[in-house]
Amino acid sequence: MPTLRPTLHLDRLGSVIAGLIGLALVASPFVTYRANRIVSGEGRLLFDALPPAGAVGTILVVIGVALCAALAHRPLVRLAAASLGLCVIFPAVGVSAGFVTPVGNTFARVSPAIGFWLLALAFALLAADALTRLRLGPWGRLAALSIAAGMLALLLLSGAWSDLSLMKEYANRAESFWREGRQHLWLAFGSMGAACLVGLPLGLASHRVPALRAALLQGLSIVQTIPSIALFGILIAPLGYLAANVPLAAALGIRGIGAAPAFIALFLYSLLPVVANTMAGLSQVPADVTEAARGMGLSRRQRLVQIELPLAFPVILAGIRIVLVQNLGLATIAALIGGGGFGTFVFQGIGQTAIDLVLLGALPTVALSFAAAIILDAIIDLTRRGGHDRD
Amino acid sequence: MSTRAVTFRAAALLLLVVFVTRPQLFAFAFVPLTANNAPAIYNQGSLLALTLSHVRIVFLATLASTILAVALAIFVTRPAGREFLPLSRSLVNIGQTFPPIAVLAIAVPLVGFGEKPTFIALFLYGLLPIFENTLAGLTEVSPRTLEAARGMGMNAWQRLWQVELPLALPVILAGIRLSVIISLGTATIGSTVAAKGLGEVIIAGLQSNNVAFILQGGLVVALLAVLIHDGLGLAERAAARRLGRPLDEIA
Amino acid sequence: MIEIEHLSKHYGDNIVVDDVSFAVGDGEIAVVVGTSGAGKSTLLRMINRLVVPNTGRVLIDGQDTATLPEDELRHRIGYVIQGYGLFPHRTVAENISTVPRLLGWDRRRIAARVEELLDLFQLDPGEFAQKFPHQLSGGQQQRVGVARALAAKPALLLMDEPFGSLDPVIRGKAQDDLLAIQRRLGTTIVLVTHDMNEAFHLGDRIAVMDQARLLQYAKPADLLTHPAEAFVEQLVGTAERPFRLLSLVTVKDAMEPGSAEGEPITVSATLRDALAQLIWRGRPALPVTDASGAPVGRISVDGILKHGRASLS
Repeated sequence: MPTLRPTLHLDRLGSVIAGLIGLALVASPFVTYRANRIVSGEGRLLFDALPPAGAVGTILVVIGVALCAALAHRPLVRLAAASLGLCVIFPAVGVSAGFVTPVGNTFARVSPAIGFWLLALAFALLAADALTRLRLGPWGRLAALSIAAGMLALLLLSGAWSDLSLMKEYANRAESFWREGRQHLWLAFGSMGAACLVGLPLGLASHRVPALRAALLQGLSIVQTIPSIALFGILIAPLGYLAANVPLAAALGIRGIGAAPAFIALFLYSLLPVVANTMAGLSQVPADVTEAARGMGLSRRQRLVQIELPLAFPVILAGIRIVLVQNLGLATIAALIGGGGFGTFVFQGIGQTAIDLVLLGALPTVALSFAAAIILDAIIDLTRRGGHDRD
Repeated sequence: MSTRAVTFRAAALLLLVVFVTRPQLFAFAFVPLTANNAPAIYNQGSLLALTLSHVRIVFLATLASTILAVALAIFVTRPAGREFLPLSRSLVNIGQTFPPIAVLAIAVPLVGFGEKPTFIALFLYGLLPIFENTLAGLTEVSPRTLEAARGMGMNAWQRLWQVELPLALPVILAGIRLSVIISLGTATIGSTVAAKGLGEVIIAGLQSNNVAFILQGGLVVALLAVLIHDGLGLAERAAARRLGRPLDEIA
Repeated sequence: MIEIEHLSKHYGDNIVVDDVSFAVGDGEIAVVVGTSGAGKSTLLRMINRLVVPNTGRVLIDGQDTATLPEDELRHRIGYVIQGYGLFPHRTVAENISTVPRLLGWDRRRIAARVEELLDLFQLDPGEFAQKFPHQLSGGQQQRVGVARALAAKPALLLMDEPFGSLDPVIRGKAQDDLLAIQRRLGTTIVLVTHDMNEAFHLGDRIAVMDQARLLQYAKPADLLTHPAEAFVEQLVGTAERPFRLLSLVTVKDAMEPGSAEGEPITVSATLRDALAQLIWRGRPALPVTDASGAPVGRISVDGILKHGRASLS
């Protein structure tokens, strides 16, 4: 194994990232300036987007990160460089918004432009690669996630971004933002909870009754292939009928259009991963373990609760991870049928060709799915270890 | 395949074809869902044309993603691309947390309304499952098989074409199937950015509060998706059989 | 003629093969034997350059293998590994025709060759040609693996634990089959194994390796009578040495003129088998016949013991 190399050795991946950074720096605008919300904007290169001292400082940091990417090999160094880069350009884009907007102009809008996104992508790639190579344990990954979340919260709360168009869109709708956010979470987590309540017993039953297994899996996988809007649409007709003819349903808030078909569709989508993984988890419990438990006189119920379910738990959790990430994404579509959620802003934004409004809906969704995936992966790792040797 | 399964598939296909070519035949079933003399059958365009354009964009986007994703997966599994392997794995993981609608919505301001943003979203999102599966297929080829191939004097290119890719094919096909299904759904949402597709029927129904439109759009899309999924599944099993793999290996 | 000259291979500080030299004559079977980690496989893989040696060279019929393009070299050398590495997506016939196809043989020639090889390995072409590897038993897979390696009529065959995945019952039969085919085709074979019995059964010459070094390269009998180092002696088994030795010699060499009563023994049987017969039948001597059954002399317990003592001393 080559451990020490006296000569400079270019890292291939790092060189690609450095190239990306170069492209962002030289050829792409850092922010877009628009006279008002609707008109098309003009780009500003990084050098023109910040006060001279700030611009030079930022450019130097960015070039430094690029050099690190291309030449440094230790993952920790690369991670530090990537974090530094992110910690500089995120506030910088906020500062830039204040700098580019003429004093007293309340109509002008400044958004991050392709150059900013490329830089953010390059730094994120560098960080992701370094983190992958560091092979962090579950606690390490959770810590990294909390640090990232904390930095993001600090950035947003400090008001550094308040001159950005994205935050102006937010400021105009702060109340509905949180309302739709709660609705989004309710749709995603509520349908997941319902799916667990129904799916776990179903999975258990089909583990015990092989005849049920094939039919159930086939039916559920057909449901999975139906595109979300189509399923929403198919559910609207019967739910509408129900609302019109069953007073109780109407009183419960069930209507043809709205959250009900979205909730039910998400629930149906969630069933397959929960049922299939419960079955898979139970069937991979080693036969000699259950045999030993029987031999020790554990009842069927005790075996299930004390032996089989704990051993199947990581696999079931993996199913729940699939469901959660899938639901957080799919819940965006619910807005199309009046079901609310962050998708509301996405579709409004599409309608008004306002990219910042689209981002206001899309970014929290992506952040939520991303965080959910990391957290659940970490939990799965922790349960796989059997909860013993946590270091 | 049992005769019952064949009949069932044939009937479903026939139903779909008749519905999109002669939708008026089914008007009687949708009239009860309408109010105020609204039309029962979508009348703002031909269902057949929408179906064809829906399938066309999914086909083209999947073709493009397949070419790029397979090429990328081959690249990161060659000695020259090894350094990119760990990152590409994490990127696929991260990429899948992006909802397709976000990709679609972000593409609109960049390229305008219509087919283009839909194609971009389909293409980008379709890359992930194909890349992931190709990677899995290529890395799961037994080292012993590769050692034998090398020992018999196959060069890197011959090993790739004659051994690695054929062995990975069933897994790659499964990835393509997954990608097609996701794309069929995303293309439906594409109608919100004015791409020609079956989503139009549902959106029109939502806008004019016409449940008949919503339902028939939903049913046509669902039937199309289930049939395509099933057809690709058959192709996969046929490929696996031709490669001499026992059938039960492919779920 | 394969000449291995001062081959060495190291990975970092780890020396895997240390200055190994020996030569294998045409049509001979050389068996490389040793404990696991002794460097046997690496040595073998340096012959077809799957591993590139740090120093030393391999000559095939006087030609340095390093001067040939690697793939071309490997087309000319058959290679069989443990587990065989059959292509799971190709039929038996396609597997066997791999190298001929790489060499661009025409289709009729390939088909004829496949049929010839299947016949040679007692696999009915009608039944087996279109089967896939997963439809074959272990023994059948092994035969297809060897047939595939022999497809392009290589003058040299490299085998790395070719019988390692077979159960003991069919292993002996597979070894006999290999011997028969090798005698018929005259192929030179370098075979790696950790199994001493296999080495004595198959080898015209045996190379004993330990910790990257070649300890001794000799005919089986010499290995028994003159082990070069304590390790070799230990490896060939002190207690079993006389019996091993007897199994290397045929009745022909210890036969005496004259006749005896009882079930005859053929001249081609080993002395070990003959001794077993003598003990079993409880006789001091038995008649010996040639292949046609005509009596040619007698073999006695005394004769065998005398022969054994002579070769051990």
